[in-house]
Amino acid sequence: MLSIAEIANSLQQWLMATFSPGWATLIEFVLVGTLVLSFFAFLGLVLVFMERKVSAYMQLRVGPNRVGFRGTAQTLADTIKLVVKEGLTPDGADKFLFNFAPFLVLITSMLLMAPIAFAKDFQIWDINIGVLYISAVSSISVIGVLMAGWSSNNKYSLLGAMRSGAQIVSYELSAGLAIMSVVILVGSLSLNDIIASQQNGWWIFKGHIPVIISFVIYIIAVTAETNRAPFDLAEAESELTAGFHTEYSGMKFALFFLAEYVNIFIVCAIGATLFLGGWMPLHIGSWEGFNHIMDFIPSSVWFMGKTFFLIFVIMWFRWTFPRLRIDQLLNLEWKYLLPISLFNLLLVTFIALMGWHF
Amino acid sequence: MSVSAMFFYGLSAAVLISALLAVTSRNIFRSAIFLLFSLVSIAGIYFWMDYQFIAAVQTIVYVGGIVVLIIFSIFLTQQAGVDLPTPLRGRLFFAALASLCGFLLVTLQLLAHPFRKGAEPAMSKDMKAIGSGLLSTVENGYALPFELMSILLLAAMVGCIVIALKPNTVTE
Amino acid sequence: MSFLTNYFSTIYTSVRSLLKGMWKTGYYFTHHKEIITQNYPENRDSLNLPERFRGEVVMTHNEENEHRCTGCTACELACPNGTIKIVTKFDITPEGKKKKALDTFVYHLELCTMCNLCVEACPTGAIKMDQAFEHSVYDRRLLTKKLNRPDSKLMEGVE
Repeated sequence: MLSIAEIANSLQQWLMATFSPGWATLIEFVLVGTLVLSFFAFLGLVLVFMERKVSAYMQLRVGPNRVGFRGTAQTLADTIKLVVKEGLTPDGADKFLFNFAPFLVLITSMLLMAPIAFAKDFQIWDINIGVLYISAVSSISVIGVLMAGWSSNNKYSLLGAMRSGAQIVSYELSAGLAIMSVVILVGSLSLNDIIASQQNGWWIFKGHIPVIISFVIYIIAVTAETNRAPFDLAEAESELTAGFHTEYSGMKFALFFLAEYVNIFIVCAIGATLFLGGWMPLHIGSWEGFNHIMDFIPSSVWFMGKTFFLIFVIMWFRWTFPRLRIDQLLNLEWKYLLPISLFNLLLVTFIALMGWHF
Repeated sequence: MSVSAMFFYGLSAAVLISALLAVTSRNIFRSAIFLLFSLVSIAGIYFWMDYQFIAAVQTIVYVGGIVVLIIFSIFLTQQAGVDLPTPLRGRLFFAALASLCGFLLVTLQLLAHPFRKGAEPAMSKDMKAIGSGLLSTVENGYALPFELMSILLLAAMVGCIVIALKPNTVTE
Repeated sequence: MSFLTNYFSTIYTSVRSLLKGMWKTGYYFTHHKEIITQNYPENRDSLNLPERFRGEVVMTHNEENEHRCTGCTACELACPNGTIKIVTKFDITPEGKKKKALDTFVYHLELCTMCNLCVEACPTGAIKMDQAFEHSVYDRRLLTKKLNRPDSKLMEGVE
């Protein structure tokens, strides 16, 4: 059976045979970069369309249904509009930082793509500190937001950036602790090891209630980290017009918009990898026949299915819950999520030590 | 020159140039951003050396912690958007002298140090080894510093809570 | 102890209410027959406007071309943005007395916000809101309308 991993491997061998190792690596860098960028564009188109359709159906509307077949070309039309618009730089802005901020945010998302396993044996960079790498790099994206808010020279942008920064910094804690509970159970930071440990069942089933709690906390915390409703204080339209990207227009705005959706994809992919087994098919104990049928579904389909399910859940949150106030936001983190996840971490450690998980 | 060496020189140039810009920029926010570039490039050099754990920790501590803290304090400072005044000629001279002395000292030390390839194998890069090293009490173990740091951080957190606590207005 | 029970009951009630909300939106997401949006130009023939939809002000006339407007200008006074202008005339009653009556009911559709205040102000129920909404024209003057039909007169018995 032809798989993505085999194609990638044969390409790698051909490159290694044709060029010197250094140059082959360089060519691979360029190839992977191009692939990631085109994947970003694809993600942007699909996720924006998905969000608009999901929100429409949840609000008893129809959603985009004019451009293309059932409105599928709507986001393409929007993108073309954004590309041909003028990218304005305000007079009072710090020109260099203003123009650099959208790219910094997007570069961070690109870096985060590296350790994600999209299919069996198909991964850009099998790094042995995968989870740590992700929490390290994701902390750079907040700098992009702060930079954009500062350099716009606009009070709404600055306030939005401050809120966004405070929010990301505080919710990183619970997200990190939730990730840590799976790391404790597996005993490794590498995403490949984490997936391999879920061969006989996903952690959300194997780890009893504590892992389910950390899964819920993870989902809440990453919703806050990606600045999405109900935690979208950073761009609360009624208070701050558009938050940190108030002054951006055209393609530079599109980059922020794209980065938001790519970040959602990334956090959901990581959540799917940690708790739902990544590309691992659904296996139930000793049901040989059932397990064999599940193995026939390609691993990339499993991965994408789980990721898009989590993305749907996050969109579901957005179109159901009202926005929190800033004090409610901080209460939720410091009074509820953090103590619960700390206690939960102790429970998980106890379970891991006693070997009570399946 | 191999591709690997090109990467090293590129990263080193990035570290040096952004560090220089961080010092010479008249706008304090830009200085912070250039400092960030410099620190990220150092993390890049760690990645190039394949010391991934140190690279990730460098990114978490410096980028996620310290630079964000610096930027927040800049945001909360009044008149942070105004360019700094050019320093006095005399101060500039002494600052340059001081940094030149520091540079010379480091360079002399580096030139005097005989770099030789160590006979012992390189330190393990395995995460398990690092983790147990942090908790071991025998030789090369870091249990004591680790626990001391935890106590220090705990004390800092308790202090923060005490400062942030609202004073009890109604007391008997 | 009450602190702890309070803490956990807060968590329980909030999670429960959030799940309730998600249940509702999830129900709407899966039940497309509940959608209330209408695809307008396609279903122009079978358009199903809600009862309270307001498109323009009209004056009702019966078969004998009679309306109920006495020209009292209550609607003109009630209108917040000067949409209505009543021109009155003096009719001679059979007894030979002069009586105020409606000459022209001028209605500026381009100014109207469909607020319904004129209809509520009318003491005789002469005007009402109609549901026609396709008002676009190429000339602004076409939007200034005369609501009473030519040669129409006041209905018998309406004071």
